[in-house]
Amino acid sequence: MKIINTLTKTAICLVISTGLLSLPSSAQKSQKLTDPEIASVAVTANQIDIDYAKIAIKKTKNADVKKFAETMAKDHQAVINQAVALATKLGVTPKDNTTTKTFLAGSVKTKAMLNSKTGNAFNKAYVDNEVAYHKAAINEVENVLIPDATNGELKALLQSALPLFKGHLAHAEMIQKQFSK
Amino acid sequence: MSNTLKKVFRNSTYFLCALFLLNGCSPGTNKNKADEGKVETSGTVDTVVIAQMQFTPAELNVRTGDTVIWINKDLIDHDITSDKKNSFYSDTLHVGKAWKMVVKDSAGYHCSIHPTMQGRLILK
Repeated sequence: MKIINTLTKTAICLVISTGLLSLPSSAQKSQKLTDPEIASVAVTANQIDIDYAKIAIKKTKNADVKKFAETMAKDHQAVINQAVALATKLGVTPKDNTTTKTFLAGSVKTKAMLNSKTGNAFNKAYVDNEVAYHKAAINEVENVLIPDATNGELKALLQSALPLFKGHLAHAEMIQKQFSK
Repeated sequence: MSNTLKKVFRNSTYFLCALFLLNGCSPGTNKNKADEGKVETSGTVDTVVIAQMQFTPAELNVRTGDTVIWINKDLIDHDITSDKKNSFYSDTLHVGKAWKMVVKDSAGYHCSIHPTMQGRLILK
């Protein structure tokens, strides 16, 4: 329970205290992430997409966009729950790091951008961002988090979450088509 | 409690758990129109595993009266929805749960939560 609280507090604190950097890239990476840092990145990245989904659920009137956003909120929460359960089991306390901060900094800008839009402009912006965000997240999981993870169970969880993120990307691209006409 | 009583209690618990699990594999009688009417139930039983955002096998050769069981082994909830409107729907299939249906006809289906996930039942 202590670890769950720590995870939640870490995520919330980082959401509030963000810098203004761009999305992370494996090219910028100078040091291998530790398992506690990977746990922090995983929880934060999922929480960010839940935050975007909450904005969409509140603002959109498009049925496809709303349903997609509801799916994002639910699925990413399920991944967080499993990451927290695994961290608890392994006795890992997630540790704040540059990648986490970078993700959060990007999310602050994105949330401001989404909140500034309405109607179809909002729908397009949200879905375009979902495509871009999932591409960035997939890149991070594939090229940084999975290779860096040392614990077998953590690596396996990341590997099993990858098809989910790719499925979300395909779903977002499917919806994106209706806004590119 | 004596050892004999403990043993009886433990065996009863195992039996009830097994019954519960079997019952949890819902036949979907409320929403599965494919189960309605005169459907042969003496066919074989096939399993489709839902994992990593895929139905495996994605295409399944079946005969009328065969039973297909979908098992959700993914990280998240899914469902089984017929491509043909109002033909069959599993309701939300939570992680670790299963749903079964007796086949009446060839059918394409998908997960309505994740529409890029698609499958097909093909009559032999």
